[in-house]
Amino acid sequence: MSDKNMRFLVVDDFSTMRRIVRNLLKELGFSNVEEAEDGQVALHKLKSSQFDFVVSDWNMPNMTGIELLKAVRADPTLKHMPFLMITAEAKKENIIEAATHGASGYIVKPFTAATLDEKLGKIFQNMNK
Amino acid sequence: MSDNTMNSGDSDELQDLFDSIVRANAGTPSAPPPPAPAAPPPAAEPVAAAPAMQTSVTSSPVPGGSMDEPARSMFESIGQMTRKIHDALRELGYDKSLEQAAAAIPDARDRLAYIATLTEQAAEKTLNAVDAAKPMQDKIEAEAEELIKEWDKLFAKQMDIEQFKALVSRTREHLKASSSYAKTTNDYLLEIMMAQDFQDLTGQVIKKIVDMAKQMETHLLAFLLEFSPNAPKPAENTSSLVNGPVYNAEGRTDVVTNQEQVDDLLASLGF
Repeated sequence: MSDKNMRFLVVDDFSTMRRIVRNLLKELGFSNVEEAEDGQVALHKLKSSQFDFVVSDWNMPNMTGIELLKAVRADPTLKHMPFLMITAEAKKENIIEAATHGASGYIVKPFTAATLDEKLGKIFQNMNK
Repeated sequence: MSDNTMNSGDSDELQDLFDSIVRANAGTPSAPPPPAPAAPPPAAEPVAAAPAMQTSVTSSPVPGGSMDEPARSMFESIGQMTRKIHDALRELGYDKSLEQAAAAIPDARDRLAYIATLTEQAAEKTLNAVDAAKPMQDKIEAEAEELIKEWDKLFAKQMDIEQFKALVSRTREHLKASSSYAKTTNDYLLEIMMAQDFQDLTGQVIKKIVDMAKQMETHLLAFLLEFSPNAPKPAENTSSLVNGPVYNAEGRTDVVTNQEQVDDLLASLGF
């Protein structure tokens, strides 16, 4: 199954939400978690150190989650990185936009720990295929 | 810039306004023209502001020497409307109510900042309490599990008297510790509960802001109806992808309201 040491990058402009996601990940056994407050900071971190998984919000200053997703998918070294969106953006357009640009999963806020667990499981399953 | 433009007090601002409109149009060539009044009011008597404006318009250094016709007529209409609005506002006493509305905006901003602060504090307090209480619960759980194993051994008659004595005293320690942990945890639970008091406070503040917004809307609507009966309704929800939480999902088909719908949509698209 999944490696509990894998390194997560949680991207959200609200520190509370980052903290909640971090706690949930810890609850699921993933304690190797880094945070970034917007897409720009996240992209910098992704390029300068090794990560295994990105969990990102959509609506953020400087660089949004969808822009980050596009940048990640366009980068030859990052393009296979699992990328889970957790966002309050709930328009169908948003979901389709994220999916067509290669998001690995899409969770709408407010969400539960069970949802996160399930989506992570699904993504890991696809990774191992 | 020409002397004429330099001398005229308003023209710099007007030029900026015009430039921004031209830029906006150039940027989105396919965009529909801005909602100009359907029928520019025939200026039966020359409106005071219009002549001054025209001089500055004709002398403005637009590439090509002159502005294209739609832009010019729009520009003129705006000027005329501004004047009419200004006069009419006075007549109707709207200037007072709009003043009130404008004064209410900083107030609303402060209120919203207040809500942001309160909710942040509440979240922070709650998370801190959880962080502090969790290790205690983990400890109680782990110790208890260990002791259960020991007691199971006793019941399976796999324990001598010395081991039994040790077990009893360890169990006693565990109970003491559990009692104190439980007490502390209860205090944290209380803290978590108290942290929710923001709901009451923010609820009241939000209600005030909603009332204020309603009032502003009423004023502005009355105002708009007065002056642009033919104006098209603003396009409902253009296709922006940055909207934030959906607070008005009822009756809408362009949004999802739960995770199941997200999953169904993605599945239906083959993702």
